[in-house]
Amino acid sequence: MTTYLLRKLIALAVVLVVASFLVYGLLYLVPGGPMAFLLGNRSGTPEQIAAIRAQYRLDDPFLVRYAAWLGDAVRGDFGSSLVYRQHVSGLMAARAATTAFLVGYSTVLIVVVGVAGGVLAGLRRGRVDAVISAVSSAFLATPTFVIGVLLVIVFALGLGWFPVFGPGEGLFGRLYHLTLPAITLSLGSAAFLARITRASVREELGREHVETARSRGIAEALVIRRHVLRNASIPVITVTGLTVASLIAGSVVVENVFALDGLGSLFVRAILQRDFAVVQAVVLVLVAAFVLINLVVDLCYKALDPRMSR
Amino acid sequence: MMRRAIPVIGLVLTLAACTSEARQPQQGAAPAKLDLKTTTPAAGKGLGKVTWNLPYEPQTLDPIRSFNYAENTALANMCESLLRLTPDFKIKPGLAVKAANPTPTTWVYTIREGVTFWNGDPLTADDVAASLSRHLDPKLGTWWGDYFNTVKSVRATGPLQVTVTLKQPDALFNQAMATGAGAVVQKKFLDKAGKSLGSPSRGVMCTGPFTFQDWKSGDSMTLTRNDHYWDKALRAKSESLVLRFIADETTAVNALRSGEVDGQYFYLPPAGLGQLQKSTTGSVTLGRSLTFWALLGSAKSGPYADPRVRRALSLALDRAAISKVVFQGTASPQRALTGSDYWGYERKTYQKAYEALPPETTDLAKAKELLVQAGSPTKPIVIGVQGSSAVHEQTANLLKATGEALGLDIEIRVVPVEQYGNLYSDPKARKGIDAFLSTWYGNVPDPLDIYTVFRKGGRTNFNDYKAVDGAIAEARAEGDPAARASLVTGIQEKVTRDVVWMPLNNLPVILYMNKRVTGAVPSFPYLYYPWAAGLGAR
Repeated sequence: MTTYLLRKLIALAVVLVVASFLVYGLLYLVPGGPMAFLLGNRSGTPEQIAAIRAQYRLDDPFLVRYAAWLGDAVRGDFGSSLVYRQHVSGLMAARAATTAFLVGYSTVLIVVVGVAGGVLAGLRRGRVDAVISAVSSAFLATPTFVIGVLLVIVFALGLGWFPVFGPGEGLFGRLYHLTLPAITLSLGSAAFLARITRASVREELGREHVETARSRGIAEALVIRRHVLRNASIPVITVTGLTVASLIAGSVVVENVFALDGLGSLFVRAILQRDFAVVQAVVLVLVAAFVLINLVVDLCYKALDPRMSR
Repeated sequence: MMRRAIPVIGLVLTLAACTSEARQPQQGAAPAKLDLKTTTPAAGKGLGKVTWNLPYEPQTLDPIRSFNYAENTALANMCESLLRLTPDFKIKPGLAVKAANPTPTTWVYTIREGVTFWNGDPLTADDVAASLSRHLDPKLGTWWGDYFNTVKSVRATGPLQVTVTLKQPDALFNQAMATGAGAVVQKKFLDKAGKSLGSPSRGVMCTGPFTFQDWKSGDSMTLTRNDHYWDKALRAKSESLVLRFIADETTAVNALRSGEVDGQYFYLPPAGLGQLQKSTTGSVTLGRSLTFWALLGSAKSGPYADPRVRRALSLALDRAAISKVVFQGTASPQRALTGSDYWGYERKTYQKAYEALPPETTDLAKAKELLVQAGSPTKPIVIGVQGSSAVHEQTANLLKATGEALGLDIEIRVVPVEQYGNLYSDPKARKGIDAFLSTWYGNVPDPLDIYTVFRKGGRTNFNDYKAVDGAIAEARAEGDPAARASLVTGIQEKVTRDVVWMPLNNLPVILYMNKRVTGAVPSFPYLYYPWAAGLGAR
């Protein structure tokens, strides 16, 4: 187990280095620069421009810049934002909390709604199945921001039950503020998970060992739990893992609609502003999160099915 | 981000249909004269907390790098300048009680006695000199360079006296001391903060009616009342001002309508302006403004480099339609870049000069004639517009329709919002773009502040216009207002006839306040004047 974890962590480090190099290189190749954010739109004598370019190493060759960044990063210094002139860590701390909360909240909603709906649709044929399938199709087909706008119009502006914007403060305040955003972010994925769960449950129901268990007169509830759900959960967990990882990227749209300044919106802004240090740091966090979520999924497999670990 | 393209396209088609009947140059009536304000009803009493929204999160509160809406809106309540630009566009004493000009190249400021920073330390000439000198260090990267190009040195010449020596006389320098360019931060604080000055964790140390309390990056900024503020008339009525950073317009409008936010300044009308105007929970005030909407020429070759082509497009363009369609009736058509709010001196001279300029109404026949004179160019004219902005998009549609009616091939190139700023600062980004749409504003009530853009080699003189370079230098060095006004009207005449930048519409400040609050300054000087000091309950 320890060697397994160690292998995974080394792989993570390699992935991080490769990702950081690729992103840095791509950002370097794209035309345009952060000058407008460093000197504004109006002023700038040639000597001022030269001084700023030298100060921010904008004229250094690519490898020199990358090596300098990597050297600092290894020592835990991710540099400062060009645009905001603050340490990247400070810039990201508050925003990472918002995004983590939003993604966590959405994950809970996705798993609860998606798995419950899918299991229900899988086990009950007929009307229940039809209703759940129809609803999940509708949610899958509706773009995230449309859902967000509709929720705001109905529940925030119309009924006044929820706030229109902002991440809120304190645990209760955050839950309250992030309810609509989390619902917005999770509906599509919950519908997707429900479909996967339903298909997976159906497949397991038709298997031989289930038939065998039933013919032996084992109680239906036990059959469902031990034979159907346990086996059906393996693809469900895989999809959940991938979905959660993709939520981090999907949160950008939701963050915009609800004015939550999270990692997603920071990331998009930083790319467009060529804010190197911020882009790099966010990429590292996202890649690490992605890899770690996959690791958790792997560990879940092991717990569910000892054969997998061999 | 809802796009309302369909009604606009419909309108463009009808416009194109009208414009092809060249016999009627006037389409639609001129927009009604707007009643633009400089004050809102005074507040009866203060409130515990007022929540305000900024159009985006400030990059910094460092005054030398604050030259944009959100930054200045926040800073105006905290950091004061030597002079003060009042809500009715007058320049009055601020932290300096007197500005003397003993020789053409010297300005001597007498600093007000008894002013203290928020921490209780007295304001001295050293603080002022240190704050102004920061603009002279190229490494610090001031955004206010245009006003400091002529400055040789800034020195404290007494405990309460600061002397600024210029390389050559400059009519704009002293006026700029009424804007963010003259903001004063405590020297001790500057030295300690270094590069982190104005960052969320560090903040600033100034003398204004509100103190910097805290700034949660990505969430909000809180200012609290300064109970020891020197100017009793401008003591803050309310205890604290919370600034939020909702950048998405629709969300901002929703937050205003739901009452979660008490007010906001809009520099462009939001798509939801109608909802705000009709709102039963608040009201919209339009304020006098130095901001305008223009098409900035940047072509050094090709058809748009020909002034006749530019004049033709300008003559054919229906500014009343722009006002109605794009700005929801809030923006008056303009015939020059600088309208009446810029005339801070010699008003009669400026008024007469303005009236003599070609009118802002359309004349398609004359426009077509000009185009023939210019050799009926066939090469397309590329106009850059900002992505995800309804105002840019709709103006672009009108320009395109005008081009069709005129027989000019206009191509629209959409540039993403975060990169749009590069058009102003990076010649490479402007490659292949003949003109681009922009809001623009001068900072002081002097038309010269705008026309200075057209100096030879100026970073924002995008098309290298050279015809007024000498006159600008002369006007900047001219101390006598009457002589300066006659020089500036001459510059205005040339720049306007050559349509270097095409003036479109004046953009009033759009202020929304919830019914709960009143007393904010509705006019343009809110960027540099403590606009929230009078904010309180009705």
